[in-house]
Amino acid sequence: MPSVDEPLVSLDDVHLSFGDNEVLKGISLQVRRGQSVSIIGPSGSGKSTLLRCITGLIRPQRGEIRVGGTRVDQLRSEAEFIALRRRVGFVFQQYNLFPHLSVLDNLLIAPTLVAGRDRAEARREALALLDKVRLLHKQDAWPGELSGGQQQRVAIARALAMRPELMLFDEVTSALDPEMVGEVLHVIRELAAEGLSCVLVTHEMRFAEEVSDEVVFTEAGRVVEHGPAARVFHAPTSERTRAFLNRSLDPSRAPVLPQRPVELAGMRFAI
Amino acid sequence: MADALLHGAVAALKPLGLNYAFVLDAGERAAFLRGMGVTLELCIAVIPGSLAVGVALAAALTSGRAWLALPARAFVEVTRNTPTLVQLYCAFLVLNMLITQQFRQFGAGNPLTPFVWVFIVVSLHKGAFHAEALRAGIQAVPPAMLEAARSLGFGRAHLLWRIELPLALRFALPSLVNNVVDLVKMTAVASAIAVGDVTYESIMIWTNRDNVLELLLLILLYFGLLTWAVARAGRWLEGRLRMPGYGQ
Amino acid sequence: MNPSMTALEHLWQWSPALLRGMGANIGISLLAVALGTLAGLLVGAASMSHATVLQHATRLWVQLFRNAPVLVLIYFTTYVFPFEIGPAVWRLPFPDWLKVVLGLALPTSANVAEIFRGAVQSIPSAQWEAAQSLAMRRAQVFRVVILPQCLRRMLPPWMNLYASIAMSTSLASLVGVHDLVDTAQIASNTVARTDFTVLVYGAILALFFAYCYPIARFTQALEKRHAFR
Repeated sequence: MPSVDEPLVSLDDVHLSFGDNEVLKGISLQVRRGQSVSIIGPSGSGKSTLLRCITGLIRPQRGEIRVGGTRVDQLRSEAEFIALRRRVGFVFQQYNLFPHLSVLDNLLIAPTLVAGRDRAEARREALALLDKVRLLHKQDAWPGELSGGQQQRVAIARALAMRPELMLFDEVTSALDPEMVGEVLHVIRELAAEGLSCVLVTHEMRFAEEVSDEVVFTEAGRVVEHGPAARVFHAPTSERTRAFLNRSLDPSRAPVLPQRPVELAGMRFAI
Repeated sequence: MADALLHGAVAALKPLGLNYAFVLDAGERAAFLRGMGVTLELCIAVIPGSLAVGVALAAALTSGRAWLALPARAFVEVTRNTPTLVQLYCAFLVLNMLITQQFRQFGAGNPLTPFVWVFIVVSLHKGAFHAEALRAGIQAVPPAMLEAARSLGFGRAHLLWRIELPLALRFALPSLVNNVVDLVKMTAVASAIAVGDVTYESIMIWTNRDNVLELLLLILLYFGLLTWAVARAGRWLEGRLRMPGYGQ
Repeated sequence: MNPSMTALEHLWQWSPALLRGMGANIGISLLAVALGTLAGLLVGAASMSHATVLQHATRLWVQLFRNAPVLVLIYFTTYVFPFEIGPAVWRLPFPDWLKVVLGLALPTSANVAEIFRGAVQSIPSAQWEAAQSLAMRRAQVFRVVILPQCLRRMLPPWMNLYASIAMSTSLASLVGVHDLVDTAQIASNTVARTDFTVLVYGAILALFFAYCYPIARFTQALEKRHAFR
């Protein structure tokens, strides 16, 4: 049994290529139990691929991946993968609810079918989860009848229904209209506050800063910088991190970064 | 009572130039009703028959194994691109003849009746069309949906039966229903090899009585009724298997 | 008939007749689809009019000729139509193959009407709105914006329809037209040899395949190209 001190998730020098295209070039990171870690970075830096490695949907060519004592990169049989995925919840950018099942059935199918839980008990839990994401009144609705934000909240509840130790969120608000982003982030904020271990890939910088214990900045398949959220966002050590944050943050708002003054012709300029 | 109704109906239609006198002849009436029954039997037999063939072929086509997929593909292409009548003749006049010859060597009779041959040929023919519809349905299942199911811990068997096939069926359903309507109409070809369906019995009657139009009208009404019933059943099924709001 | 000829040699002997029969099938299919398409476009156009009478009439036409077995329609036009047409002075014989052409033109027109209507309805309403906001009249919108796009969308299902009609021409043999199937039956009965029968029926299967399969492949290629637009 892993001790409380041992990290829940650890990646060690993970390399992954799709054909000739090397997407992950030696990623190492750790997530402790109860922590939330955000992964930020430009598109194409391999963030989503990273998440899929953790849950065994993609296999790296090199490196070690551990989730709570299981060596994910060494799993072989379907039964082993299933055992892992029962402990790791995954929420996708495109929600991916099953359109032929009602909202409640979407939450019930995995616990009853995969985990073999008693249907009545699973139903009670599912309804409690729907209540938690404030969609109890939509239990009999069909996914196609819900808005994007509602579907994503159901997707989160569906992943939670398996009682996972770890939750992975893959850019879960990127496909939503702006007015629906808030309701989904609210749910994640609550989950993180309750002590759920999670890894979020996100473009929502302010949210990442608010909710994460640690932030990891990846670029071009490598970890450029990682550390406590406050430090990475306000005092990044790497120039590339600074450049990315400058590009990403809304320039119309007050700058989060301290300016580096430059002296030129006797006058001080902020750059 | 029924007799009086029939007489009345026949008399009413006479001024329109329609000669339905055959209805009053017990023998011919029975023959026509028998023909309707045979057509119904054929429909009831070939619908599940063709669907079974379709599922088997679709499985072979999407299996990813060349030794299954290539013969299945060849069969589908040949069946879809040649006329049903010619296939029926090849089966009945050629294959059946060869089988009869083989049986004769053993001193036995050929157990395969023309009805059975129509069932086999039409099931195989429409099965090929069903297979294409199912294959398209399977390929229309978004890979992201399968990824979501795998991430929830679904094993391969559960993935197939609870997610992939239900979705594929829903996508393929309109095509499948269209195919079944075609199937009902196709049973008329049975008359070409003297299977006593409604078309064949009608030909027998009109050869005697020369009332082709009258019989064709009855046949049209009967097939119209059958195709309407199939379309209704299809719509009911589509309602049961609906996915409200999908695709918006 | 030379008894020492092989089945293949018999087939070679019969091939001109078989090919003539095939020509009959092809000719019937081309004429039937040509007539049926013209009629179908008219019916389709009528079905989209605002007049309720036209809407009902066209709906009846389409339902009737799509739900009737093709064989029944062929029997209808063959046996119900008169043997000759024209006023008393000059009577033209109404040949059987022409009756089959009409019989096949009927379901063609119904299907073309549906294909046409489906194509028009598949054009996004945004196209109508854009054209109308440029002050184009309804007829102009149709001619300049809608119809060109329709024709592209109609082509694959129309080609599928042609292939289907081409295969249905085999039913002409049941009403006495000397097509490929009828010729094969005559040949088989004349030569009266098992191996020849197998060969000749295999040959007509192959001939139909050789005609219809390229059409199907071409249609698939068309669909793929259209999908990328």
